[in-house]
Parts: sequence; structure tokens; C-alpha cells
Amino acid sequence: MQQVFSIPKSMKKDFKYTFCPGCDHGIAIRLVAEVIDELGIREDIISSTSVGCSVFLYDFLDIDCVEAPHGRALASATGVKRARPDKFVFTYSGDGDFASIGLAESMHTALRGECISSICINNTTYGMTGGQLGPTTLLGQKTTTSPTGRNVDYYGYPIKIAEHIALCDGTAYSARVALDTIPHINQAKQAIKKAFQVQLDGLGFGFVEILSSCPTNWHMTPEDAHKRVREEMIPVFPLGVFKEVSKDGN
Amino acid sequence: MVNEKVLIKGNYAIAQAAVNAGCQCYFGYPITPQTEIGEYLSGKMQELGRGYVCAESELAAINMVMGAVSTGVKAMTSSSSCAVALMQEALSYAASDELPVVLVNVMRTGPGLGYIYPAQGDYNQAVYGGGNGDYKIIVLAPSTVQECIDLTYRAFYLAQKYRNPVILLADGLLGQMMEPASFGEYPYPEVDVSSWALTGAKNRDARSIYSVAREEKKQIQHIYDLHKKFDVITQNETTFEEFNIEDADIILTVFGSMTRNIKAAMNVLRKKGLKVGVFRPITLSPFPHKRINELASRGKDFIVVEMNMGQMFKDVKFAVEGKVNVDLVNRPCGEWLSVEEIVSSVEKIVEGRKQYAASV
Repeated sequence: MQQVFSIPKSMKKDFKYTFCPGCDHGIAIRLVAEVIDELGIREDIISSTSVGCSVFLYDFLDIDCVEAPHGRALASATGVKRARPDKFVFTYSGDGDFASIGLAESMHTALRGECISSICINNTTYGMTGGQLGPTTLLGQKTTTSPTGRNVDYYGYPIKIAEHIALCDGTAYSARVALDTIPHINQAKQAIKKAFQVQLDGLGFGFVEILSSCPTNWHMTPEDAHKRVREEMIPVFPLGVFKEVSKDGN
Repeated sequence: MVNEKVLIKGNYAIAQAAVNAGCQCYFGYPITPQTEIGEYLSGKMQELGRGYVCAESELAAINMVMGAVSTGVKAMTSSSSCAVALMQEALSYAASDELPVVLVNVMRTGPGLGYIYPAQGDYNQAVYGGGNGDYKIIVLAPSTVQECIDLTYRAFYLAQKYRNPVILLADGLLGQMMEPASFGEYPYPEVDVSSWALTGAKNRDARSIYSVAREEKKQIQHIYDLHKKFDVITQNETTFEEFNIEDADIILTVFGSMTRNIKAAMNVLRKKGLKVGVFRPITLSPFPHKRINELASRGKDFIVVEMNMGQMFKDVKFAVEGKVNVDLVNRPCGEWLSVEEIVSSVEKIVEGRKQYAASV
């Protein structure tokens, strides 16, 4: 019988699944692992990890990792890449880490055009601390720190991360994808692969924002959570490629 | 011509010493009075094909150092006082992660923004740290431009040897002054980092460097281990300098560039008939508690002279365990205490002690 599905080689053999049921981190990390396998880069990777639910990346992937304080993953990754330009360097953060406490580091890494790849999980909340208002919380969204819903007067607007990163001249690739349907998951994998490939090609900063569900803190079933991604998040955070520099310079 | 004497500014001396020590990456953000370090290295590192980033902030700069040193290379950042305050979180992480970060602090005046006058107000910040948790940093305090070179070499060596962050605690006076000094060769052996450095999981298990321990027992053990390591550092690496200690009744205790006119003050006081010696910790952390306690056991009084409100003063008091008198001669910042000021302050203290002794 032909085997058509297996655990990616870049996953650790003894990992325990520690995310909440229905969380999209599991899918996102699996996609990253598949891309690492397909590009054959596992042995060259040094990853700078973030703080938040995304920190558990190093529980799952069989790669070298160095911890960074909350928001400082891109600075740490810059240090790694400048010290070892021959290594493959990527970060995997949540929206709070990448676009709130770490926005300066993230933007400047893109502006410098560091040959680093970054994945940002946007689930519109701080998951690990129990669902507070974050930089991408939607207008009207109720969280533990916006109990009556996000309103502009009190909380201001959510940030469109992929569009901001695309504006940076050093960015070679910036896209937003989602994990709510199988076609979207396939597109997400292709986007991750492109964000990784621009690093391998020396073109600059590669970025993917992944719209993800957080059923626990959204107080929804996994199915309803994906429905929310589709019906509430995608209209505000449209999917697409916002910048793509190709090898011939276009 | 490595042993040739050159006339060089402290900041440039530190920068060139870092290059000689094999520093592969520098990351920094400008702040007076240390900006020349970053300026000098910007050209130098590019010329040598090494790493250099004008970081977006001090937060970013020190985290870039953490990333770089995690791969086994030598790297550093430099800054000053209020901006070093921004790096305290990273120092706590680096100590826990056992990352060989080298940080140069060319002190200015605080608290807050303060100003660019020289001061020694960051003793507590360096020695006790502003980061969270139980951690210790190695702190080296140069007193001359020559020592800026020698201790920069030592900072890179100790950082890798013990996998511990090291602060070189200089000040605006040293950073900005020119003095003859020679670089010599980098005098330390290269430390083997192959057992822990991140280089990609090729032909070995993957490595993770992190401070998060979700199991209580692991966290407890990790903190014990860090402190056991620092006991070894204290045993092996505590250094200090002494002048005229043997017959001294009073020991002037100083660190960093305050040492520069303390010897002149000592000589004046000796001419006036006071048996005065000088004790100078070179490592502020590990602090030479043991040696100070030995001297206190021999009945020698201490007078701490420093450009802050009495920060090292507390460590000396702690070290003497109440056996002898410890007094303070100080000014918080600005013009360095002159020989005359030190002499008259010491005389006043001695007179006060005499009067007190007569009254009881």
C-alpha cells in the first residue's frame, strides 16, 4: 500500500501536542515543517523564538533555536544572520510579539532587508495570557480587556501587518494567508515556501501573516472559529500577496 | 608593532581592542559619551567583512548581540547609563541563557536622562542589575586607557569561558580622554564553544538555548547551577589592586577612573603623617569581599571614595562585617573629586574618629 501522509521529518520524534484543541498553531507549524523538508534546509536552520503560544515552536521542530525576550525575535534573528550569513534564519511569532511589543524590531528588520523569513500568527488576541486586546483585535471584538468590544475612541484601530511590511523597501515578499479551508491551507504553505525561498535567493526579508483561530479565547468551537476567520477577519485583513520581488529584480 | 605606544582616546581604545579580540559583530545605538565606539567600528567592521548594525534601539542592539553570540562568535554592544537601563531585560535573559554577551557602559550622569558629565552612578545597575530574577553579571572597571584595552580583552575571554554576560564599566572621563597605551596581542586562548553553539542541527541533536523551564524542579536547579558557576568565577577571577596596604591604618577604596588621583591624595596624606593605603577592586562583580574582610580583620579602617551617593560603599560595609569603620567621600557626578578635596575630607573623617574615640 502506498503511504500518502506522514509526519514531516523536521518534526521532533517525541513531541507532545500542547496547544488547545482546534488551535491553528498546529497546522501552521506542520506547514513550516513540510516547507523545511521540501527545501532540505533543516540542518542549516537557526531560529530565534518568540514569547507567547508561538514559543512552543521549539517543542515541535527538530532545529537549533535561541530564545528572544518578548518582541525581540527579529533583533535576535538579525544578530544570528549577521554572525552566520550562511545559515537559514527564521522567526515564528504571534501578532502581539511581532506587531505590538516588537513592531520596531520587525519593521526595521524589513527596512534593512535582512535575509530572514518571518511567520506571524494573527489570531486577534493574546492567547497565552487568556485573550486580551492585541494589536490586531477587530473593531467590536470583545476581549478580557475590551469587555464591551473594541471601539476606536478607547482602543484605536487594528494594524494590517502584511501591508505595512510590504511598504518596507527591504521586503522581498509579504503575504497574508488563512487556515480556515483546505485551499487556504495549501495557499498558506506556498506563501511560507516563497517567504523562505527569498531568503535562499538573497532577495531580502520574507514575511507571511497567517490568519488563525483561537477557539479557547474566542469562546467558540473550532468550526465556528474558522467561520469567524472567514466572515469577520478576512473582510478586514484581505488575503493576498502584497509584495513579491523576483530573482530578476522585478 | 603591536607593543608600540599610541596616544588614543578611551572609546577608540575599547573599539580597537574589540577588533583585536576577534569581535565578529557590533550592534549599537548612539549616545554620548560612548558614540565614538560605534563610529569607529562602523568603518572597521565593514572593512574587515564583519557584522555591524546601526540598531533601531538599545533593546534591539543587545538582542542582536544575544542572537550573534548564540552561534559561538564574539559580539558586543556599547552604550551609556540611561540607555544601558533599556538593556537590563536582555542581560537577565543572557545570564539565564548563559550567552557570552559583552556590553560596554561608558557612564554618564543619572538618574533619568541626566547629562553627559562623567559619574559612577551605575555601580548598582551593573553589579546588582536591573533585570528580573537571581542572576549575576561579571563587571570589570578600568581606570586608565591602557586598562580599557586590557579589560576589553578580558571581557571577551571571560564571557566565553564562563558563558556569562560581562559588563565593561567605564565612564565619560575615560571614554573621552587621550592617553598613551599599547594594544599588544590578544592575550587569551580561544575558547571552545562547539559543545553548545548553534550552528544548525547537522550530524548532531538539535539545540535550544532558552530560559523558560516549565518544570519547577528544573527551574530551581538551573538557578542553583548559575550561582554555583558564579562561585567558581569568584574563586578564579576576582581581581584587585593594592598600594601601601601593609602598614596602612586607613584604606582608601575606589574603582574605575576615581583611582586616578587617589594615589596622589594618598601621597599627600602620607606626607602629613597618616598611614594611608589604596585598595581598588578591578572586578566589581565578583567583588573582593574576602580580601576586604581580611584587611578589616587586621584593624584597617576604610574610606570609600566614589562619584555617586555611596554605591560601592555598601559593598565595603557588607564586606568588613562591622569590624572596622567605613566612611564615604563622594560627589554624585560632574567634576571629579580633586586631590585637595579628598585630602581634606579624609582629614575631617580622621579628626571626627579621634574626637569620637576621646568621647567614649
